[in-house]
Amino acid sequence: MAEHRQEDVAVVVPVYNEEKTVAGVIESLLDRGYRVIAVDDGSRDSTPEILAGIASERDGLSVYTHVINRGLGTALRTGLRAAVDEGASCIVTFDADGQHDPDDIEGVIEPLLKGEADVVIGSRDFSEMPLSRSLGNTLMNLLTLLFYGCRVSDSQSGLRAFTARAASVIDIKSRGYGVSSEIIGEIHRNGLRMREVTIKTIYTPETISKGPAPQWV
Amino acid sequence: MIYQVIGTVIGIAGIIVSFARFRESRTSPGGLLLWLILWVSVILFSLNPPFSTRIANLLGIGRGLDFLLIIGILGAYYLLFRIYLMVDRIQQDITELVHEIALREHDD
Repeated sequence: MAEHRQEDVAVVVPVYNEEKTVAGVIESLLDRGYRVIAVDDGSRDSTPEILAGIASERDGLSVYTHVINRGLGTALRTGLRAAVDEGASCIVTFDADGQHDPDDIEGVIEPLLKGEADVVIGSRDFSEMPLSRSLGNTLMNLLTLLFYGCRVSDSQSGLRAFTARAASVIDIKSRGYGVSSEIIGEIHRNGLRMREVTIKTIYTPETISKGPAPQWV
Repeated sequence: MIYQVIGTVIGIAGIIVSFARFRESRTSPGGLLLWLILWVSVILFSLNPPFSTRIANLLGIGRGLDFLLIIGILGAYYLLFRIYLMVDRIQQDITELVHEIALREHDD
């Protein structure tokens, strides 16, 4: 494992109505010494109060608030820009629904620290996924290949790692879940070096119920 | 006869509204011209229905009513497209504002 200081790693957590899981996810990241940048995307439940409570009790959490809900793409855009502005050298995106294992972060940032990649995508094992999710993700991989010319094994993964330079050149325009494919396209367009690292996925009723919603227009 | 009266009244109302909006600077000169052409056409075709048949025949369309329906549908789709582009632009502007507010409020 390449050497690094945990505080040089900023973990961006986009959050929208995640009152059941957000505290556990953010606490587990702070416990490991990471800087956490939570982007509250206009939550209407008790998520803002939970985030404010953690921020007042612990160091290392920055909360950015969208005054109204604008979608995952916009939340990631705000989070990446905030992380770059705060001077992080490694930026990781991490879902707030509890589907990712924080221990996987070391694995996804390793190729960045070794200088082997500019972006790392954490790929989930499709054989462990519920069939409907597996089919949906396979379809999105095909669309990503078709529209962006990039073959990746898990284009919709929420666990990704970027160098600060990569995060600053990636130009996100998608407002919704289309951002996952767009990021792959941006990696390709900017000639960034990409690696895929296998990660675990934790399946709970919350993580199974969430996912890309169709956006027809 | 009723069709002619209704069409003419709608056309005149449209012209009055278009001029009022132009006077309030809510319509550009180009926009005013486009709306005037539309409303004058509505009055013209209402008062003289055979005129639409003559244009239809010139364009190789059988009936005057078919010509008016085709023009109406094309016009409606054009407006729908313009509205779609406008809504999308407004969405982008709102997104940009929300993004910037989040970053600036955090800095303050």
